[in-house]
Amino acid sequence: MSESTDSRDEPNRAQSDADVARRDFLKGAGMATVLGVTGLGAADDGAMDGLKVVDDPIGNYPYREWEDLYREQWDWDSISRSTHSVNCTGSCSWDVYVKNGQVWREEQAADYPEFDEDLPDPNPRGCNKGACYTDYVNADQRVLHPLKRTGERGEGKWKQISWDEALTEIAEHVVDEVEAGRYDAISGFTPIPAMSPVSFASGSRLINLLGGVSHSFYDWYSDLPPGQPITWGHQTDNAESADWYNSDYIIAWGSNINVTRIPDAKYFLEAGYNGTKRVGVFSDYSQTAIHTDEWIGPDPGTDPALALGMARTIVDEGLYDEAHLKEQSDMPLLTREDTGKFLTVADVDAIDGSGFEEPAKVQVMLDDAGTLRAAPGALGDREAKYDDSKSIELPFDPQLDVDREVEGIPVRSVWNRLNEELANYTPEYVYEETGVGEETHQRIAREFAKADRGKIIHGKGINDWYHNDLGNRAIQLLVTLTGHIGRQGTGLDHYVGQEKIWTVHGWKKLTFPTGKVRGVPTTLWTYYHAGIMDNADQETVDRIEESLEKGWMPLYPEERDDGTRPDPSTMFVWRGNYFNQAKGNIAVEETLWPKLDLVVDINFRMDSTALYSDIVLPSASHYEKHDLSMTDMHSYVHPFTPAVEPLGESKTDWEIFRLLAKKIQEVATERGVGPIQDRKFDREIDLQSIYDDYVRDWLSGEEGALEDDRAAAEFILEHSEESNPSDSDEQITFADIEDQPQRFEAAGDHWTSDIEDGEAYTPWKDFVQDKEPWPTLTGRQQYYIDHDWFLDLGEELPTHKSAVDEQDSTDYPLRYNTPHGRWSIHSTWRDNTHMLRLQRGEPVVYLNPDDAERRGIDDGDTVKVYNDVGEIEVSAKIYPSGEEGTARHYFAWEKFQYPDRNNFNSLVPMYMKPTQLVQYPEDSGEHLHFFPNFWGPTGVNSDVRVEIEKVGGDE
Amino acid sequence: MSSDANAYDAGSGEDQQRLDLADGIDHQVAMVMDLNQCVGCQTCSIACKTLWTSGSGQEYMYWNNVETKPGEGYPRGWEESGGGWKSDANDEREPGEIPSKEDYGDAWEFNHSEIMYEGDDTPLRPKGGDPEYGPNWEEDQGAGEYPNSYYFYLPRICNHCTHPSCVEACPRSALYKREEDGIVLVDQERCRGYRYCVEGCPYKKVYYNEVKKTSEKCIFCYPRIEGEGPDGEVKPTACASECPPQLRYVGFLDDQQGPIYKLVERYGVALPLHPEYQTQPNVYYIPPFAPPQQDTEGETLEVDRIPPEYLEELFGEEVHDALETIQREREKVERGGSSELMDILTTVNNEDQYRLEVFDDA
Repeated sequence: MSESTDSRDEPNRAQSDADVARRDFLKGAGMATVLGVTGLGAADDGAMDGLKVVDDPIGNYPYREWEDLYREQWDWDSISRSTHSVNCTGSCSWDVYVKNGQVWREEQAADYPEFDEDLPDPNPRGCNKGACYTDYVNADQRVLHPLKRTGERGEGKWKQISWDEALTEIAEHVVDEVEAGRYDAISGFTPIPAMSPVSFASGSRLINLLGGVSHSFYDWYSDLPPGQPITWGHQTDNAESADWYNSDYIIAWGSNINVTRIPDAKYFLEAGYNGTKRVGVFSDYSQTAIHTDEWIGPDPGTDPALALGMARTIVDEGLYDEAHLKEQSDMPLLTREDTGKFLTVADVDAIDGSGFEEPAKVQVMLDDAGTLRAAPGALGDREAKYDDSKSIELPFDPQLDVDREVEGIPVRSVWNRLNEELANYTPEYVYEETGVGEETHQRIAREFAKADRGKIIHGKGINDWYHNDLGNRAIQLLVTLTGHIGRQGTGLDHYVGQEKIWTVHGWKKLTFPTGKVRGVPTTLWTYYHAGIMDNADQETVDRIEESLEKGWMPLYPEERDDGTRPDPSTMFVWRGNYFNQAKGNIAVEETLWPKLDLVVDINFRMDSTALYSDIVLPSASHYEKHDLSMTDMHSYVHPFTPAVEPLGESKTDWEIFRLLAKKIQEVATERGVGPIQDRKFDREIDLQSIYDDYVRDWLSGEEGALEDDRAAAEFILEHSEESNPSDSDEQITFADIEDQPQRFEAAGDHWTSDIEDGEAYTPWKDFVQDKEPWPTLTGRQQYYIDHDWFLDLGEELPTHKSAVDEQDSTDYPLRYNTPHGRWSIHSTWRDNTHMLRLQRGEPVVYLNPDDAERRGIDDGDTVKVYNDVGEIEVSAKIYPSGEEGTARHYFAWEKFQYPDRNNFNSLVPMYMKPTQLVQYPEDSGEHLHFFPNFWGPTGVNSDVRVEIEKVGGDE
Repeated sequence: MSSDANAYDAGSGEDQQRLDLADGIDHQVAMVMDLNQCVGCQTCSIACKTLWTSGSGQEYMYWNNVETKPGEGYPRGWEESGGGWKSDANDEREPGEIPSKEDYGDAWEFNHSEIMYEGDDTPLRPKGGDPEYGPNWEEDQGAGEYPNSYYFYLPRICNHCTHPSCVEACPRSALYKREEDGIVLVDQERCRGYRYCVEGCPYKKVYYNEVKKTSEKCIFCYPRIEGEGPDGEVKPTACASECPPQLRYVGFLDDQQGPIYKLVERYGVALPLHPEYQTQPNVYYIPPFAPPQQDTEGETLEVDRIPPEYLEELFGEEVHDALETIQREREKVERGGSSELMDILTTVNNEDQYRLEVFDDA
């Protein structure tokens, strides 16, 4: 660009004396114009005050030297690469600009290397929130010093204390607890390693050495789709978002991509220009629905009926993929009519059971000649849950539809049972139940089945229901029936939470050096200690007791030999806002919180958990530390690096917990606390060496190797298959990713496909293409679950059950929905000034216009939203695209944003579905057993009803 | 290139004539925004704000804003506020109004410190009373009745018009259009804050800074497109660079090899907003599609959800042809064919959307 005119050489007009006089003169003229008087001619004015004349402001303006004003603003001192640790799945790499020693702004680094040139550009990744994280670095909310509470929890009254005082107080308490054997009363809550595994590990490593409790999060936040471990035997595995573009037909089902997956939305949006049909399934005409080719709006909570109706169409019209069903699903397997259990090799004489490890865990089917055949790859035929030495490829052609006797036992195939179940979902019923048209839902089912590559993007909108497992299984059935699974552009991708970490091995070794982990299902832990056993229906209470008794689910503190169970006493919270985000919020505040003698929050900002803590430790912001970032939305790893030093007295998470370990070691040594035998694991808890253990590299044995966060990040990269594959010389180091994000070299064994050059990651290829047994009881995608509890409840197959309605629908006629919004990532940014200015500055509830009118509520009115659990006061917003009967309150507003310090979770009671407390098979649990974030009860919240009234409505 | 596309290709010489750049302007910067990719996330608004309007007196300004349509927008009622020209002769301005402070909404400050560190038990709220409007007050509201309601997002910056009525309105001649690229600027030294420009702009994209006592506006990030940063790199505007779905094309209208020229001139699918204001904007929009309506039995109908007359109100009569062209080309691709237009609308390489170094003299 040229420097343009000659006028730059002219003297600066503003500095001339004459100019000052003119300014005064013109003030008067300016006043007149403010009143809206117009018509002063430019030429007249110029002549009048003796300003230099502008002959033609279009293309010939002579006085342009002032333009340097803005050029001087486009200036900075340095740029560092970082990202944000907020559990949003974005994992977006940003350039952080520093000017005059302060973080000035950020802009996407936009340098993810492209791996498939036929797909839309992977850059830039980012969103509105990431674009103003700088606010938090310098904000009023920023915690800058160690603080100790002086008022009640939540009051916001603090005294500033020194680091030494803070660490000493915490260390003394911790040593007391461990010495008293209450190490399992010490909890560490920190979600989502993938968003910053070093920070995750910082506290979790200390907790692990202390014998404390590590909390699950993916299940607790109801992000885990239980249908996936139930049917596919695996936590969740998703295609990276780039794969959406490979689809011919995408159904966005309760996944509000355009709001909650902003960095990924382009793959959905641009697919529309690539011949892909995009269908939206949302109860409201959502922000994603507006950019679809067809939108259908089932009534809230009726999605399983819709899915099963579509399944019925696919089955009735013969549009299913028969070969896929025979080989890859349990449809040909036989079940006993008498017990409801699978017919197994152990039940029949026709198959010799001696060749199998456990004949009772080998299911059978009939081939086309009517001969009984063992299901290859069934659990009783495998070494373990995952066994790639076996194949499910069939050397025979099984019958799908079986209803007969076998050796005197009446049996039916799963397919036969499924057909019977699906017969209930007639077009008339589906319309009646869901409101989706009879023709429309059948046509969409046909289109989906006939597409070459069909995909369902599945989200939280349908995962927060009590019967989420049934809903998941019903929708999963659609991709199984059609064989839309295990290939590019297909599958059911459930994106909620950055739940999976690619570099799992290195992270695990860093986080849990002892290998002995007290993991706990947080839903159960929270609700148990918040009093659910005194508040839930008897059946739920009984099932919780049975699950605990049988050891299906763990709970801490453990029951002691004398039958008592201590209360939890101590909680560390970092990288999360447990107290604000807890469902059953009132019970948590009133019953659980008082049990805790010490709550320590480690945070860069004063969130609700910090506000309700006893000690708050100031943590480095995301632009002041080293760490890693990854997500299942893409297959890259990139770093946090410090743009500036931690502000005030803040320190990185790694340093904070390292210093705490040091202090604990000091105190323990001073007191002469000896090693303590762990009551559950074969190990001693040795507080006198806890700091040395903290900084030791347990794999190499090197002492003091892990002093800082960068070394910890490097440890993770070095010890993970994804970044340092065993069969190659390729290796990704921290320096590499500081330079540019790197695509992973390989996928470890917690992924179900390989990472292939030039292709987006798509899951399940190990099973669908390589024909390894699925990690289920049957070695197949398993829609029939013969667990006693499932049989008792009539849930052996996917079925539709209505929402449980925690409240009476007459008293509380409105459904209460708390979706994820575009202005925050959970509670982060909820209190951000930039974001609040683009909303209404306070919590709002979206109301259908008729619902509002009926209650005399206008847009902007203050309203009370209430039920038998609690009430909140918020502002009403009229939302014509919302269905009648739903109060939609985008979630995660902080407690301190509501007048009575209740919050969006105050209306949600403690409830959970007992089928998610099981182990399966009952005796051994290979298919389903408690594992944090993999299998455990989900913290559901959508079956809640409310009523709304205008505050001061009578005035 | 398809045969359809060839039909649009009238030859470069004639096109140059047809382009109608402002007299005395060598080249004209332009932007196309694809409304079918706008998710209303306002990353653009934040990108602009953190870069240019964080200073005092600027807090309320969004040089780039995104509003939900239909709706009153930002500032409230701007479409009814006059300005522009009486006719396409561009010789007589249409008088306009200066929006009130309330129409923009205050840039709220909050009581974070009081609540978090000083023991205040009131909720976090904007200081100084109940807000009644803001730059995104009508987010997601739109019009119509469920299930056939409709809304979409409209990002707006200064249109850097070919016939800028703001320039004409200024009695001090403190606004001008740059010769080399047609960017419209307010000379921050010459301006005395009379606000004739605010009044005269029909899009209400000039903002008065009551601290500095000058009017300010979108500068099309000229320091970025000039490559004037420490790294010397030419970059597109921040609103475009940071847009997650990359819905903007930035370049020169008269760059006949560029996507903007093709979308605007060749295919006629990118249209100016409110052409009847007669300022000849240089920001163009790919008009929005929406899923069809439903009947009372929940069946999908073949009926437009967004009333075509509403789109015509925004983008003029040409919107019908534009939508038809896009639809036709989409169907071509659905049938397995290829389409230059669809290729342009897809962002396989971001670089293709930004052509800023094509002219030696710009």
